[in-house]
Amino acid sequence: MKDRRAMNTVLLITAIIIFLPVIVILVWTVTARWPWPGLLPESYTLRTLEELLFGSNQLTEILLSSIMLATLVAVIGTVIAMMTARATEIYRIRGRQAVGIAALLPLLVPGTVFAMGIQVSLIRMHLNDTIAGVVLVHLVAALPYCVTIMMDVTAAVGDSLEEQAAVLGAGPFRSFIDASLPGIMPGVLSSASMAYIISYSQYFTTLLAGGGRIKTLALVLVPYIQSGDRALASIYSTVFVGSALIVFFLLEAAIHRIMRKGR
Amino acid sequence: MKKKLLVLFLAVAMVFPLAACGSKQAEPEAADLSSAGWDEIVEQAKGTKVAFYGWGGDENRNNWLNGTVADYLKENYDIDFEYVGMDINDILAKLTSEKEAGEETGTIDMIWINGENFYTAKENGLLYGPFTSQLPNMEAYIDQDDPETLNDFCKPIDGYEAPYAKAQMVMFNDSAVTPETPKNADEFLEYCKANKGKVTYPALPDFTGSAFVRNLIYEKCGWEQFQTMEADKAAVKEAIEPALEYLRELNPYLWNEGKTFPADSTALDKMFQDGEVVMNMSYGPFSVASGIADGTLPETCQTFVFDNGTIGNTNYMAIAFDAPNKAGAMVAINAIIGGDLQLTQYSQLRDLPVVDQSKLSDEEKAAFDAVDLGKGVLPQSELLAHRLPEMPADLVPVIEEIWAEEVVGK
Repeated sequence: MKDRRAMNTVLLITAIIIFLPVIVILVWTVTARWPWPGLLPESYTLRTLEELLFGSNQLTEILLSSIMLATLVAVIGTVIAMMTARATEIYRIRGRQAVGIAALLPLLVPGTVFAMGIQVSLIRMHLNDTIAGVVLVHLVAALPYCVTIMMDVTAAVGDSLEEQAAVLGAGPFRSFIDASLPGIMPGVLSSASMAYIISYSQYFTTLLAGGGRIKTLALVLVPYIQSGDRALASIYSTVFVGSALIVFFLLEAAIHRIMRKGR
Repeated sequence: MKKKLLVLFLAVAMVFPLAACGSKQAEPEAADLSSAGWDEIVEQAKGTKVAFYGWGGDENRNNWLNGTVADYLKENYDIDFEYVGMDINDILAKLTSEKEAGEETGTIDMIWINGENFYTAKENGLLYGPFTSQLPNMEAYIDQDDPETLNDFCKPIDGYEAPYAKAQMVMFNDSAVTPETPKNADEFLEYCKANKGKVTYPALPDFTGSAFVRNLIYEKCGWEQFQTMEADKAAVKEAIEPALEYLRELNPYLWNEGKTFPADSTALDKMFQDGEVVMNMSYGPFSVASGIADGTLPETCQTFVFDNGTIGNTNYMAIAFDAPNKAGAMVAINAIIGGDLQLTQYSQLRDLPVVDQSKLSDEEKAAFDAVDLGKGVLPQSELLAHRLPEMPADLVPVIEEIWAEEVVGK
């Protein structure tokens, strides 16, 4: 009983720490002036909403391209991670530890350095300023996380169920889909969400690899944060977080339905 | 064995296209523009796209470019104009990589640039030119003998960039909080003493903070000697010694006793809006009017300059060395320096126009005079009467270095 109360207090404090700044951001979206020491803003404005909805940044277009890009990275990243994890965890390939370490290497290089170097390579491959180029660069940023997640679940689930299915006469594809996939599904979900959010929040890499041609929400948001326009930065941040959350809820709901159907 | 062969084959098959791509030649330049006549250039630009890259943190400017300017270019020249927000450092990094990789057709057509960045970009061959002498509006609207048409931070322009808008250092405060407006460096010191801990300036190398310090150097040491000064650290330090002395004297009365300074002008803007400091400064001479119109600044804000003047500079438009549409960029730049768009820039963005007043027709002059600048600002004539030239571009980083060593926390 005591434990539970302590637990609840911790939960409450965590919730406040998370939600209080979010509420402040929500207030800032319509704030014109909020000088110290006022507890509430001194004056309000609708200029931010006007800019968001009718300004020169086509919001729907940018939202769609951000979501498409991030989804692409999430799907490709998770498939690659799934295959890498199977290769290192299930098949006894020589040098598989090296592959595991290599998958983490991109984390060691600072993002800015990586972006500037990769840009030269992209230009040589004629992939600069294209969606394919941006997806590739985002994948490099997302893969270390995806691979780590998938390695853990693949090691835990193993391939014993798959072997059973094979013994019962299922083909390799069917035995993977029906026997292993449900087991590693939680990993697939978290890997996809991770890749999604990493791609969604890339700024510098998108800027350089996409050359400003590939537009994402982060590209519009960051200049407003840098220029100190707190109201505009807040409203774009709200759209940023809100859209990411909505996509997550939809994704989760879809997966739940698929899982239930499968059973 | 078979499997191993297959793996080898796949590996080669994967690497091969990459290598092949790497050696592929970029397409050659379409035509030589430097000898083309203006009509030819306009004809070539018809139905093309132009991408203008520059700082994207000002919503009003973004809307002006993607709205007013884009519509104007579409209507008059059938050009699709797009503004892409990107920091100048990133733009230069992108161009440098493209140059390094031997790219001949990039994505950037026009760049918003000036000062040190222009100097380095031109030195490193990142810009296309010279092209400004081919623009009819250069002759029709711009003062050809103005030092700011010929030089950017005292470095020769040589036709590699065309003026875009004029900036000038101004200071402002809220007359309801502090009614006095310091007229020179000594009065500024008194002002800091009277408002101990509530005045500061952005830490160098912030653009605005750096200009403010140069302005105080002009106050203490005069401005003429710097126009031809070499970027030799010891010599510069000796020349600005009285100003360094003054800046150190200022420190104890500044915010946090001058031990630290706000990281950039953005931080100082927020501190001023929040009432943490009583004075702010800007390179946008009419920014107070925009702030009051937005509601981010109180209506009682007032702009002021030093009696001896404040530093003004011009920002410019250049064309990238690998611009895919140089003809289109030239047409767009020509349109932007013309009277029509300069007038909208003045009325919508409240930016000092680059057009020469004496070259305007009576009708155009009346239109410029009729612009309502809003509250809390100084009129254009008063600003221009108190305008001092910038220092040579290569002195700027030297002074920033000396400031960091000799002023902060001293």
